[in-house]
Amino acid sequence: MPTLFQAPVTKPVKKPIKTHAHARMSPLTAFAVNPYGVRFETQEAEEQVALFLRQHLIVNVPWIAVTIIFLLAPSVLFPLILRSLPAPLPFVYVLIGTLSWYLVTLGFALVNFLHWFFNIYIVTNERIIDIDFQYLLFKRFSQAELERIQDISYTSGGIFATVFHYGNVYVQTAGEMPNLEFLAVPRPDKVVEKIRSLTENLPGSI
Amino acid sequence: MTPPIMTIALTIIKVLTLVGLGLYSLFAGIMIRQEQLMAAVLEEGFEPILRILTILHFAAAVGLFILAVIIL
Repeated sequence: MPTLFQAPVTKPVKKPIKTHAHARMSPLTAFAVNPYGVRFETQEAEEQVALFLRQHLIVNVPWIAVTIIFLLAPSVLFPLILRSLPAPLPFVYVLIGTLSWYLVTLGFALVNFLHWFFNIYIVTNERIIDIDFQYLLFKRFSQAELERIQDISYTSGGIFATVFHYGNVYVQTAGEMPNLEFLAVPRPDKVVEKIRSLTENLPGSI
Repeated sequence: MTPPIMTIALTIIKVLTLVGLGLYSLFAGIMIRQEQLMAAVLEEGFEPILRILTILHFAAAVGLFILAVIIL
């Protein structure tokens, strides 16, 4: 019997991701689509960063407020403490105490900024990566292949999250892979949309 | 003449200050190393500035420790 139709045999080809203009990165960037000039530790040669995320800038407000209070404290607190002492403290002790106070304040601000700066979420055309630095000495690198993503959702609640438009994105993966959580990221709806569009472009997807 | 109790109190403050600043210098050194490890994970343009800041912080901690040893 003659063959009426023969489906073309083609190898599954990776569909290229939709190209957008490259986003310029600044030190305070918390949301960037196709960022320019960003590379991470285990990035492969053909792997492209499609989305770069940090927590929303607003999450830094508490430690910035504490830093400002710490900076202002010596002018208010130190005279009160010195006055309450039974004997006057030599000037050199006051000097070293004040300088130490400002040094620790600088360290406090630096640690908090580093914590925010290096806790990042990256979505590439192949996988999703969550890099966490906790307490300065502990690093956690979690990743999930895009093919293994089963479900993706987000939540955004509360006054600040609504006003500043940020929320948590939850990525559920198949099997033993850990589920990923992007906490307090800007524009969670856009993040979900972007990941969904990437998974739809995977080879074998409809 | 300084009363003996005041001398003892100042000595205790001095020792505690030096121990505290010594430990803090150690912490500042660890912070430099940690920043290097973090920067190895993520390559980004702002990283050299952060490295300079952590080095300056370490230098300030060591400098203050030395100053405390000299003047206290």
